[in-house]
Amino acid sequence: MFSKPQLHLASIFLKIFFRDRQSLFFSLLVPLIFTGVFLFSENEPPKIKLGLVNQSSSALAKDFVEMVNNEPLFELTIGTEDSLKIELIDGNQTAILIVPQSFDYLADVAKLRLMLDASQVRQIGAIQDALNTSLLSIEREIRNIEPMFQLSLEDVKARPQRYIDFLLPGILAYMLMNLCIAGSGFNIVEYRRRGILKRLFVTPIQPKDFIISIVLARMLIVLIQISVILALAINLLNIQVMGGLPSLYGMVILGTFIFLCIGFFLGSLAKTQESIRPIVALVTFPQLILSGIFFPITSLPTIIQPIANTLPLSVLASGLRDIANDGISLFTINGTLLGVLLWIFISFLLATQFFKWKKVAS
Amino acid sequence: MIKATDLLKKYPDPSNLGCMFNAVDGINLNISEGIIFGLLGPNGAGKTTTLEMLEGLNDIDHGEVIIDQMNIKDHPYEIKKIIGVQLQSNEYFDRLNLKELITLFGSLYSKTIDAELLLAKVKLDDKAKALPDDLSGGQKQRFSIACALVNNPKVLFLDEPTTGLDPQAKRNLWDLVIDLNNEGMTIVLTTHNMEEAQYLCQEIAIMDKGKIIAQDSPENLISKFANKLTTSSDSGTLEDVFLNLTGYELRD
Repeated sequence: MFSKPQLHLASIFLKIFFRDRQSLFFSLLVPLIFTGVFLFSENEPPKIKLGLVNQSSSALAKDFVEMVNNEPLFELTIGTEDSLKIELIDGNQTAILIVPQSFDYLADVAKLRLMLDASQVRQIGAIQDALNTSLLSIEREIRNIEPMFQLSLEDVKARPQRYIDFLLPGILAYMLMNLCIAGSGFNIVEYRRRGILKRLFVTPIQPKDFIISIVLARMLIVLIQISVILALAINLLNIQVMGGLPSLYGMVILGTFIFLCIGFFLGSLAKTQESIRPIVALVTFPQLILSGIFFPITSLPTIIQPIANTLPLSVLASGLRDIANDGISLFTINGTLLGVLLWIFISFLLATQFFKWKKVAS
Repeated sequence: MIKATDLLKKYPDPSNLGCMFNAVDGINLNISEGIIFGLLGPNGAGKTTTLEMLEGLNDIDHGEVIIDQMNIKDHPYEIKKIIGVQLQSNEYFDRLNLKELITLFGSLYSKTIDAELLLAKVKLDDKAKALPDDLSGGQKQRFSIACALVNNPKVLFLDEPTTGLDPQAKRNLWDLVIDLNNEGMTIVLTTHNMEEAQYLCQEIAIMDKGKIIAQDSPENLISKFANKLTTSSDSGTLEDVFLNLTGYELRD
């Protein structure tokens, strides 16, 4: 299937990569950091630090304070208004709840005061909601009434879906894009600058041999890197690949091919080491924002969505997500798979049309 | 062995924007098998461009090149199999030692070769495990020639092989070139070192401004063009020929 020069050249690229201790170190460090970040942020959402000033001596106030204290959402500090205010300004408290003197069963509506730091504006909505809900249940308990209805969240796909489950396939796709473009695009520009491509060009190997050997070598490297992340994610973050690992790897291989080809194309366009960086940034950065890596594409403005949906990174990310989260097999014909195949075709065409020995070597 | 007819190469003129100039301007070469052929000329004369067109590295705008009865336009990859090329720049993949690089170049011709034997041929057998960056200038050039020999080529192209070498390294490389030629290899080299051309070449073409202005054996060139003696030597040297033909004006 592969010729001897292709295989030998691929093994040379692997050898070069594995002898580069520094790049080896960093290529394994990135997945470790990534998993670490999620490992430590996977716990319960952080508690709201709530200061409480009780100015009332009523029995109701006592009960209320007790219940707020029992509320798991809050980390309660009871103190005087002045001392808590200082803590609030220093950022040690998120909000201060003041139970007024008039807080009693006898009063009509008990007015609670909430003091906040204006710089925390972003959180006010969330805090207010959380407080309202807590107060409501506290009120029910005090008045001894049952809630009329309850909302129970039920996923139609009947599986636990956490943010990390959404995020991981996207991050995999994003890492894959960067690894591939660095592996082909940057390398080509460097090899050309040093005259290595020209040296290869005087031998009878053809551009396709060179492309195939880099694709083979890089694919193996990318698969190893992705495997490290997956192993960590599956074992430490309890990620489940519903559609099975073979399908996921299949999709990774297709994605690797697409982005290596795009890398060849960019490397052929860029003439210098200085110009490859902005050219690559122009291609990768918008995709990071638009391809639904961190947030679903549906949260983008409607006009942008059709464009965003067709980007290669979106297609790959949703392909991986289909397999990891929705249990779809690689061979299920759907829009995503068609998109992946279309990009394979486009990127291969771009790579082979622009990667000509005479052009890239000189 | 090599026949070039009416070779032409146009480049954008750096001193006259938007205009083209002929870097190689309709040259004809006929290089017989088994000789060492020298392409001489001042800087910018078009030597390297000519060589690159012969090697198939550079597009030929007009004219044709036939090597071993094959037209380079029709059979570029066939011709690459029978030629060996040493380029002016000699950088290689990082982190590979000489032996690995030789093996790599061999594999690009689908050949398994005895890397150590080849390194011994260029007196680098004790450096098999060294990296190219650790070599001296002369060793680097010898290694570069070794890489060009992996396919046991019929024609070897050397682009300024001794530029920047000290006298010992230069002599050493000359011996290597003569040894290879004695084995029957046709060698085409560019140089602006007259001593080298006189010592090595059986035939010389002097290029200036993209054209060949003289072509003959060193002895004939000297007897024809060194008549206006400029140095103290009695019979004249190739340097006299060169200066008489290309003038004394500074070339950069």
